[in-house]
Amino acid sequence: MSQVIVITSGKGGVGKTTTTANIGTGLALLGYRVVLIDTDIGLRNLDVVMGLENRIIYNLVDVVEGNCRMKQALIKDKRYPNLFLLPSAQTRDKTSVSPGQMCKLTDDLREDFDYILLDCPAGIERGFQNAIAGADRALVVTTPEVSAIRDADRIIGLLEASGMQEIDLIVNRIRMDMVRRGDMMSIDDVADILSTHIIGAVPDDEEIVVSTNQGEPLVDTDSLSGQAFFNICKRISGETVPMLDLDAQKGILVRLSSFLKRA
Amino acid sequence: MRQVFWFYRKNSGRIARNRLKLLLVSDEMGCRPGIVESIREDFAKVLSRYAEFDPMAIDISLARNESAGASDRIPVLSARIPILYLHNTRNE
Repeated sequence: MSQVIVITSGKGGVGKTTTTANIGTGLALLGYRVVLIDTDIGLRNLDVVMGLENRIIYNLVDVVEGNCRMKQALIKDKRYPNLFLLPSAQTRDKTSVSPGQMCKLTDDLREDFDYILLDCPAGIERGFQNAIAGADRALVVTTPEVSAIRDADRIIGLLEASGMQEIDLIVNRIRMDMVRRGDMMSIDDVADILSTHIIGAVPDDEEIVVSTNQGEPLVDTDSLSGQAFFNICKRISGETVPMLDLDAQKGILVRLSSFLKRA
Repeated sequence: MRQVFWFYRKNSGRIARNRLKLLLVSDEMGCRPGIVESIREDFAKVLSRYAEFDPMAIDISLARNESAGASDRIPVLSARIPILYLHNTRNE
C-alpha cells in the first residue's frame, strides 16, 4: 500500500525541503521505492538540496501539461537505490498546476512507488492546496519559535478542515543548550501547544549547512541530525523507535573545545 | 536593575509558551489577542469573590469539537483553574 505524504509547515525556512530530502533518502535506504516531488513552482529547491540540479530535463509542469511522459521527467538518484526526484519548474508559477491535476499525478505514481513525498511551498494559498490535494498524511515541520509554531497551528487547522487523517509534527532546529537555559521552548512544550503527536525532533546542526552546500543528504551519516532523520524514517515505516537523547553529545570535550576556540 | 533583566531573560522560553497559548486561542476564535487576556482577567475577578487561587495559574484553552463533522466544528472555550480554597461564605 503506497503512501502519499506531504511535508508542510506554513512558515518558510523551517526546513521542509531539507526534511523531505533526508526523509526520502532515509526511506530509500530502508529499502522502499521513493519518489520526491518538488511542488514549489517558481522557486524550486529540492533539486539543489539533493545535488541533482544538473540532471533536470523535464519537470512537474511538463508532466501535467503532457509535454513529456512521467518517466522522462523522473530523475533517478544514482547514489541511492530506488530514489527518484520529480523537480519543479523554475520559470512558471503556482497557477500552472491545479489540485485536481496533482491528485491524478500522485495516484498514477502509487503503482510504482511505496512512498511519494511532496515538498510543499510555504504559505496557505494555491501552492499549499496543490501539495495537499492527493496526500494521505501530513508531516508538519516547525521550529521551537513563536512565529513558526503560530503558522504551524494554522496549517494544522487547515489540514484538519481538508480532511487529512494523519498529521504528525517534526520539531526542527531544537537546541538543547538553550532549552536547558530556559531560552527555548522544549519539544514537550511544542507538543502541548499544538496538541499534535510528534514523530521526531531534529537538532540544530552545522552539518546540515554542509550537506546542502554539497548536495549530499546527511541521513546516512553519523551526525546527530542524520540519526534523528533516520529515526523518523523508521517511525514512518511503522517501527517504534525511542527518541534520541539530544543531550548526549554535549560532553565535556565538546564544551572544552568550543571554549578553546573562543580563547 | 540588570539582575532583574537577567532573570527575565532566563525565562523567555516560558514567556513564549504563555504568549503562544493565548495567541493560538485568539487566532482560532478570530478575535484580537487582547480579548482572551481580558476574559482571563474577568474570570479572575469574578472567581476571587468565591475562592483563593493563583491568577497566573488560570489555563484557558480552546478545544476543537472533534466528535462532530468538519463542518460542525464549534470551538469550545474551557478554563481550568486550580482552587486553593473556597471562601466560607454561604448566601442563603
